[in-house]
Amino acid sequence: MAYLLTVLEPRGQRSERTPEQGRELYQRMLDFGAGLQQRGLLVAGEALRSESEGFRLSLHEGERRVVDGPFTEAREMIGGFFLINAASRDEALAIAAECPAAQWATIEVRETGTCYE
Amino acid sequence: MPVTDAIRHRIEAVWRIEAPRLIGSLARTLRDFGLAEEVAQDALVAALETWPIKGVPERPGAWLLTTARRRAIDILRHATLATRKHELLEHDMSGWTQSDDNATDTEDEFGDDLLRLIFIACHPVLSTDARVALTLRVLGGLTTPEIARAFLVPEATVAQRIVRAKKVLAEKQVSFELPPPAELGSRLASALEVVYLIFNEGYAATSGDDWMRPLLCAQALRLARTILSLAGDEPEVHGLIALMELQASRFAARVDAAGRPILLAAQDRSRWDAASIRRGLAALAHAEALDGADGSYALQAALAACHARAEQHDATDWARIVALYTRLANVAPSPVIQLNRAVALAMRDGPQAGLDALAPLLEEPRMAGYHLLPGVRGDLLERLGRLDEARAAFEQAAALAGNAREREFLLERAASLRPVS
Repeated sequence: MAYLLTVLEPRGQRSERTPEQGRELYQRMLDFGAGLQQRGLLVAGEALRSESEGFRLSLHEGERRVVDGPFTEAREMIGGFFLINAASRDEALAIAAECPAAQWATIEVRETGTCYE
Repeated sequence: MPVTDAIRHRIEAVWRIEAPRLIGSLARTLRDFGLAEEVAQDALVAALETWPIKGVPERPGAWLLTTARRRAIDILRHATLATRKHELLEHDMSGWTQSDDNATDTEDEFGDDLLRLIFIACHPVLSTDARVALTLRVLGGLTTPEIARAFLVPEATVAQRIVRAKKVLAEKQVSFELPPPAELGSRLASALEVVYLIFNEGYAATSGDDWMRPLLCAQALRLARTILSLAGDEPEVHGLIALMELQASRFAARVDAAGRPILLAAQDRSRWDAASIRRGLAALAHAEALDGADGSYALQAALAACHARAEQHDATDWARIVALYTRLANVAPSPVIQLNRAVALAMRDGPQAGLDALAPLLEEPRMAGYHLLPGVRGDLLERLGRLDEARAAFEQAAALAGNAREREFLLERAASLRPVS
């Protein structure tokens, strides 16, 4: 079974850090990812650049809309993700609890699967 | 679920994630695999006693490592060790007590620890049963009762296998080191064999209960990915991952709601896991790019890929499957491969061709207790309209099947051929 761990960071948190602090936390996340990989738990994982550089697209009823970030209506932004192999919800929880970002952000854990019930 | 069960499941999950890191680190510093395994288990017992009362600590891995280290120090202080070893250990452990809060290793050390653990648990001096049990215990973090449940053997048997395995490793003075380069190939093959055995136990489910099956498959894939992250240029590692991914992609489609098996031809292919197939095909391409197309796992993966690529059973490329089985029979001769080749021949050239290819296997002593031989024979006979012989074959297959659901399925097929009176 695969689970997606999404790191939900409070908006603006990154800009409050010094570059040194940012690099240190980033390194801890890289180490966490390397540890997952070595244990065969990691399918994929990436950090994401600031959402002010991102955009949102919709083509509802043929109308193309592109909205540039930041998406200020939310208090949090997606800072990165890990797609992991876990045999159960408990395992996914155990892995999420190891994630350094749990100490400064929120880790959302979702099982992969079809999007109809 | 009662609270105590919930927390126990949580602790067991933490253990499965943390055990290899913990045991690897302990074995490296203690230079004693058996002792490392013992004190790690003691730490687990301590967790099972303490965490339900005090809660799961913030950093469970560090808690377990600290607890295990304290236990190791206690044991070593009480033991009358040879002075030399004692001094060495004192030196290595000098940092242990002060740095409890930072009880972790670097990721590089961790990777090497894992690889050493795999090679020691899959060491050829151990019996196959012992290798599987030890691997699941130290790398998979499964408890003895879980392993016993997975293989339908008494807990005492598993415990004994592990104790004996550790004794053999100690007697043969197997060190906690990476194998010398000359041995690497055969040692890797031994490890991959153990991984595939674990996967098959979960996938084929000749025994064990439902909950354990996906867990064993997940464990096997995890182990293979660990080996891959450390030996990525070995084509057979990619081949084995491809094989397991492609087989696992059919997990949800191969049984019905009542848990009865559904044959490949009748499976709803839309229920095959597309992501798993994609990963499997990518891993197979890797194996082939590394010049490993004729490895035994890569060939088996290529066979599974023929099915994965066919959107309908009718669209299966049986000629390619026959050709792949012929190559596989050259690389790894076995009557089971001949049996599968006969099935593919029947698909390509008709049931009589399959039956002809099956004939020599009926004399093969290694196939005498194998339920799939009469099972396949029954199927071919049925397609030829030889219904009495087909029924007898299905009944024979049912008598040999180890799995209750498979037995039931075979008996149903036999019953469906009974003449209507």
